[in-house]
Amino acid sequence: MKKITFFFFVPLLLVAGCSGNEKTIEVYDVFDDAENRVEIREVLDSNEEIYSGTAIFIKEQLLVAVQANPWLDFKKESIEEELSKEVEKRFPDLNVLVSADYKIYWEANKLVNEEDQQKVSDQVEKLKNLIKEET
Amino acid sequence: MEPKEYQDLEKQVTPPIPYLKNALKAFFVGGIICTIGHAVTYFYIIFFDFTEKTVGNPTVSTMIFFSMLLTGFGLYKKLGQYAAAGSAVPVTGFGNAVISAAIEHRTEGVVLGIGGNIFKLAGTVILFGVASAFFVALIKLILVSIGVVQW
Repeated sequence: MKKITFFFFVPLLLVAGCSGNEKTIEVYDVFDDAENRVEIREVLDSNEEIYSGTAIFIKEQLLVAVQANPWLDFKKESIEEELSKEVEKRFPDLNVLVSADYKIYWEANKLVNEEDQQKVSDQVEKLKNLIKEET
Repeated sequence: MEPKEYQDLEKQVTPPIPYLKNALKAFFVGGIICTIGHAVTYFYIIFFDFTEKTVGNPTVSTMIFFSMLLTGFGLYKKLGQYAAAGSAVPVTGFGNAVISAAIEHRTEGVVLGIGGNIFKLAGTVILFGVASAFFVALIKLILVSIGVVQW
């Protein structure tokens, strides 16, 4: 009995992660600029190497937090670099920050529904410092 | 009895070692330990200000702390008997090696017993880590000075 359960449940557990391939993209925009929103969505949508992304426009700053596809985790830095170049080309007057780090992604997703602009701005500043942290 | 005969007899008497079963046990228990480690990683990322780059250190120390507790309560020994390398290869095995040496020698006194023997097993690991980190950093410093790579 134990063996039968084992053989039924282990393959199920192994393939449990294979469901849901939809890309989730969230944008937070205080200026309410539809053009910006469409453009950043386009950039994130066209990138094949990420499965989720969140962009935050606030006070001359653009924070883009993405999550690399499974198995591509080891080339996170090159994904960040490529995406950073692409975003900077499209938004030359904004201070762009792209990160594939889970912490940044988690905090950015919490900020998407935040009403208080000052709080978002402070938090983005804090995240910028956090990315630089080495130890 | 000739040595050859003895060896044949020994082969007949010894039960076969279940290599595949042992490997599977080690694989799953080691995997479960690593899953717990990953859960600790996400705990630190979500509830504290750690990024994926900086979360390694607190995670490693927490996992070592867990294995030290389990060793002290005598539970890690049972896990080690069941899964062997699966429980020794992850960093929890390091905590186990430190504490089990301390427990073994505690009757010999605090300084000469615990102090002198606590790193008997794990000392080589620490020494090797420190020494290799020094040399890797030295090589990187040289490469950066020449201008081949950047920090």
